[in-house]
Parts: sequence; structure tokens; C-alpha cells
Amino acid sequence: MEMDAMVLEHMMNPKNYGSLPTANGEGMGKNPENGEKVAVYIHVKEDEEKPYIDDIRFQAIGCSTTVVAGSMLTEEAKGLTLDGAKNLVNATMKLLEKLPPEDAACSEMVALAIEAAVDTYEKRKDDPEYPSITYQIGGTCTPKEENNHDNTAD
Amino acid sequence: MTTLLIKTHEAWLEMMMAGFMSHTHNRETLLDFSDILFRHFTWIEQEMIRTGEAYDYDRDDIPIKVERLETMLKAVTARLLEIDLQLLGLENKALAERIASDISYMTSVLHEMNDEVITAFNMSRKLPGVTMTQEATDALTLFLFEESYKEYELIMIYNYLKQHSGDAFLNRIFQILIDESFFHLKRFGDMMAKMGILAVPRTIMKEVYQVEDVVGFLKAGIDEELAAKEECRRLSEAVAKDSAQLAKFFDFINNQENYHIALMKEALDYYEKVAG
Repeated sequence: MEMDAMVLEHMMNPKNYGSLPTANGEGMGKNPENGEKVAVYIHVKEDEEKPYIDDIRFQAIGCSTTVVAGSMLTEEAKGLTLDGAKNLVNATMKLLEKLPPEDAACSEMVALAIEAAVDTYEKRKDDPEYPSITYQIGGTCTPKEENNHDNTAD
Repeated sequence: MTTLLIKTHEAWLEMMMAGFMSHTHNRETLLDFSDILFRHFTWIEQEMIRTGEAYDYDRDDIPIKVERLETMLKAVTARLLEIDLQLLGLENKALAERIASDISYMTSVLHEMNDEVITAFNMSRKLPGVTMTQEATDALTLFLFEESYKEYELIMIYNYLKQHSGDAFLNRIFQILIDESFFHLKRFGDMMAKMGILAVPRTIMKEVYQVEDVVGFLKAGIDEELAAKEECRRLSEAVAKDSAQLAKFFDFINNQENYHIALMKEALDYYEKVAG
């Protein structure tokens, strides 16, 4: 990880770190190789023409690179519509394709956790009891959904 | 008691950070006070367990980026006064009186402390008297962020296990590991402040400390200690040509991990015997 002042700032003061009791969507990105994981909690504001993420938090069991990626990506996701958040995830995954898998893994976990949170929110519109979705990172950028009933976020 | 526990958790860390920031004899007093606040935290936690009140280790962000120590001391004092108010609702009056008495003394000492200019956030990433290559500086920076969080995490995990165990054999091991992690956290926090990159360790996810599989946790923990030893060895090599003193420090931390591993193996054997 290249340590410029911006990266140091995210390491010292990660943005949006913690849980979000008012969340109406949450999801997890997980690395099955080493057990590292990222949980993302979103609050989608619905009383607008296009619902948007008006608050977002994340928590991580992982390294400092994961925390920096979580801090940066959740800042980007804040204020986006659901389509905007999905575009952010897709754009991030495309950028990560250029990196070796071991360097991409931390950011990929965060991106997939954001996607899982948005997908959980959308599923719950039809089924309020729908469990939190977890996506595992893999060799490809196609997320593999785990068994929802066995692997739910807190 | 939930608010009391959270505020005490925050005050403990805030006081410790203030100690790291100080360049004067204030440092020792602030770190001693932070130790007292950690003990308050464990007593309140034990009271919650005794009365069957659910709790966790969640807390709010603790802003510490200040230019003068005085600002930090005012913030800690305000938090201590919040705790003092919360004590009114604590049914265990002996505990409430003890904490209130400590707070009264601590706030009076904080009020009299001399102000200092703070350099703990200037991102200089230089240690006094040590010249390091960019590569060694980056490696040390990453190590300090990773390991300061790890030590805080270990304190909380072993504290949680200790609070929920009535076994004297295991509690002796947990207490040693807590004390050792405190020592490491203080050394790393001190270095982070000197390098201008001081930060409060992030909050810990519940599943990390609410350990359901203690045997699995100890096995993974031994592997992590071995990885930490290797990281210390690499750092020692990286800084050896620039600072023999710093290299010796990382060798010292590396060697301390051997006893942690031995203790964790003892605990593991004990758990496996009990389970078997």
C-alpha cells in the first residue's frame, strides 16, 4: 500500500467505521481463504423520487488495507442512488481486475459487502425477513452468494 | 449501566491517548489514570454480568486530533463528569462511591496539569534519532497500525473470556496475556505519537470477542503470534542498519511472543482436556 497523506488520514481516522442501528440493509464481503470479512450497513432514504443511501457504515475483521478501502469506498457510496452504488461496485471491480488477486482482495471484500447490502435492501422490499446476504471474493469478479440461512451478517 | 460502561470504555481510551500525546511528566499520570479507568470498566462489566444485564464493547468515535493537550484534558474531564452523573443510577453504591471518588481526584489533577503543544498528528513518520529508508518507514507505519489494533483486540478478547470464566487456572493465563498486550499497546502507541500518526484503535466486531469456539480461537491465535514474530523479525532486519536500538526493540517484542504462545498452548491443552 502506497502511504501518501490521504491514505494515512484514512488509516488514522477511518470514515464511516462502526455499526448503524438504523440500517435498513446490511451485507457482508468475505475472504474464505483467511476468514477476513467486511460488514456494510446502509440506511436508504425512501421518501425521495429515487431512494438513495443517506448513511453508511462498515466494520472489518481484516488488515489496515481493508480499513482504508472501506473508508474510501463508503465515502464514495454515501449519497448515491441504488443504481449509483451498483455502478460504483462495478467500476471498482473493473479497476481491481488489473491488480494481482492478493492485492485486490481487500478492496474486493468492501465492494462486495456494499453490493450485498444493496441487494439485501432490495430483497427485503418483497420479504422483510430476508436474511443478510454475504458474498465471497473469488478468482473471478462474479460474486458467489453463500447459503443465506447459514451465513448472515449480524 | 450500558451508558456507564460505554462512557468508561471511551474515557479509558481517551485518557490513554492523552498520555501518548504528552512529552512531559504528565504522561505517566495520564497513563496511570487510564489504567484506573480500565479497572473501572472491568468492575462495571462484572456488575452487569452479576445482574444479568446484556452488554457489548461497542462505543462511539473518540476524537483526539488536537493541537494542545489542554483541549484533550477538557474533553476527558467532560467525559468523566458524564460518568459521574451516570453513577447516580448505579445500585451497587460501594462501586459507585469508589468510581466517584477516583473521578473527583482525577478531574482535580487534570485541571492543574500544564498545557503542551501536541505533535502526535503531524504525520512526520520520523522517530527521534533514527533515520529510516522509505521502505522501512512504510513497513513500520503499517506494523504500528496493525499491531496497535491487534493488542487492543487481544485485551478485549482476553478480558471478555476472563470476565466469563470462574476458572483460576485459565484466569491466571488470561491476566498475563492482558498485561502483556497492555505493555505492547503502550509501546506502540508511544511510537505512533512520536511519528505523528497516533490513532484510536477501531471498535471490535462482537463476533471477535464473543468467542464461541475457544479452542479454535486459541489455535488461530497461536498462528497469529507466529506471524507477528515473523513480522518483528523482518522489521528488526529492515531497521538494523539505521538503528541498533530499534532493531533490539523488535527482537525483544519477538522474543516476548514465545511466552505468549506457550501460555496459549497451556490454555489450549486445558480446554481440550476439559472438553475431552
